[in-house]
Amino acid sequence: MLDVRDLSGGYEPVQIFQHVDLQVSAAESIGIFGPNGHGKTTLLRTLSGLIDPWQGDIFFDGERMNREGRRGSRKWRNFNYDAVTRRRMDPKKVARAGLIHVQQGNLLFPELTVTETLSIAVSAASGRRGWSVAEVQQLFPRVAERRDHKIRFLSGGERQMVSIAAGLIAAPRMLILDEPTLGLSPKIRQELCGAILEIRKTGLPIILIDQDVAFLEQIIDTLYLFDHGRISGRMSRDEMPDHETLMVMLFGERH
Amino acid sequence: MDPITLISIIKGGLILGALYALMATGLSLVWTTLGIFNFAHGAFIALGAYVAWQFSSADALGWPMLPAVLLTCAVMFLVGVILHFLLVKPFERRSDVVLIAVITTLAGSTILENGLLLIWGPRSKQIEPLTRGEVDLAGLHLTTAEILLLVLVLAILLGIGMFLRYSRPGRSMRAVSQNREAAQLLGLDVPKLYAIAFGLSALTAGLAGIFLGTIRFMHPAMGSEPLMKALVVVIFGGVARFSSPIYAAFIIGLLEAFSTYIFGVYWAPAVLFVTMIVVLLVKPEGLFGKYQRTL
Ligand SMILES: Nc1ncnc2c1ncn2[C@@H]1O[C@H](COP(=O)(O)OP(=O)(O)OP(=O)(O)O)[C@@H](O)[C@H]1O
Ligand SMILES: [Mg+2]
Repeated sequence: MLDVRDLSGGYEPVQIFQHVDLQVSAAESIGIFGPNGHGKTTLLRTLSGLIDPWQGDIFFDGERMNREGRRGSRKWRNFNYDAVTRRRMDPKKVARAGLIHVQQGNLLFPELTVTETLSIAVSAASGRRGWSVAEVQQLFPRVAERRDHKIRFLSGGERQMVSIAAGLIAAPRMLILDEPTLGLSPKIRQELCGAILEIRKTGLPIILIDQDVAFLEQIIDTLYLFDHGRISGRMSRDEMPDHETLMVMLFGERH
Repeated sequence: MDPITLISIIKGGLILGALYALMATGLSLVWTTLGIFNFAHGAFIALGAYVAWQFSSADALGWPMLPAVLLTCAVMFLVGVILHFLLVKPFERRSDVVLIAVITTLAGSTILENGLLLIWGPRSKQIEPLTRGEVDLAGLHLTTAEILLLVLVLAILLGIGMFLRYSRPGRSMRAVSQNREAAQLLGLDVPKLYAIAFGLSALTAGLAGIFLGTIRFMHPAMGSEPLMKALVVVIFGGVARFSSPIYAAFIIGLLEAFSTYIFGVYWAPAVLFVTMIVVLLVKPEGLFGKYQRTL
């Protein structure tokens, strides 16, 4: 369903990841595991079109998400990059195709209430079948409880839940979750992990980044190891070792 | 100062404030959503006045006021959308778009103003007042046009507020202004919302131009002084909420009316700027809270 071929990219002029190949079928969920700051988030932001890839192609459901065209040479980049080279990605197109990205540490819309935020997601889905507001409220009772509060008054965990809820409403056919459990207290964390497991059980394929191998194991079918901007390993769930062994695989004996 | 003078100064201040509020709202709408200052806003004011004059004046098409105003609104919305496409959109993805937009919108402003001069000539014009009645309230002289202006401006501002709060595109616009990336990732059509914001802003400028054209003589640069004031209002009040520039506009309007009475026309702008500097020294983020781009 998602087919990433030889993708390279980064933040001009710094390249962050290179030659990433990634295939995710419609029935499958994958995890990406790697050290902090090695470019996982940058890769996902490229997949969803927030930054343009430098090279390579992204296909979702057989359709090419990036426009063709080369990244301009340094000389050309001094001109209006948009006018002289064609823009390569359109996040709207990706989202409407059904690849929905829930950002890491997403602040969402600070001055809108939870209800307003969910209604934005409803209008963003514009007719395509996503989850209903009632369904996400059932999945996240906490979100239902705080529906009249502004996003900026919510706790980190609640905000993460609203983020995921909005993503579900926006008619996902594949959901990208970037470190959803980062910095949460154990209780909220457990609640959120439970909800993500519920989402997985509906058959929605998920791309999950997380630092907790035990949690990844519950959700995903295939794990990709990612370090220094490359995919350095691929293993199925049955082959997945525990956290310690993984760290050794990534960094060697001492880390 | 006798009470009648006092009240008529307040009246003048409120009318000025209403006009500034209308202009500042349009300006801050674009600033909060697109993150740029539109220096063509003043030219939009003039354009709105001239278009309305063309439709309504007995020397031109001579239509009744209501269809003339409605059609002017439509024209202004379109002009806004088109100019957004020409002046801002090509540079939207650049990190230095704020600076580039200063230049392009200033250029657009000059072109528009000279276009007005070319089409309608240098002779001053005036739009017929919306109504011609007069009211005497305990010695205070009011024209019905003045009352209508106040009422209409408040109604328009209320309408825009409701649009932003309750309508789908309005809400989406607020979402985009608060977090563009999150809005894009949900699949909102950000370029379309930007175009709507720009069109709406041009529409409010056009309305301000119509009001201005009924109380002053029109000339192609008639918008530059009000634009200056609207900028002051936006900086002075901040854009923490939709209503902050509106309160600020009325404060500035009253301040201007009083300082004109007390210090004279020449010193009024100086008083205004001194006040603004003092306020910004004490509250750098504007009178009404956080200096950030939200709606
Ligand atoms: N907006 C940006 N502009 C320039 N460089 C950036 C930007 N955002 C991130 N980087 C750099 O890109 C590199 C990769 O960051 P990224 O956030 O993709 O890593 P990550 O693997 O997601 O890390 P984490 O596990 O901490 O989330 C980092 O070195 C970071 O400094
Ligand atoms: Mg990350």
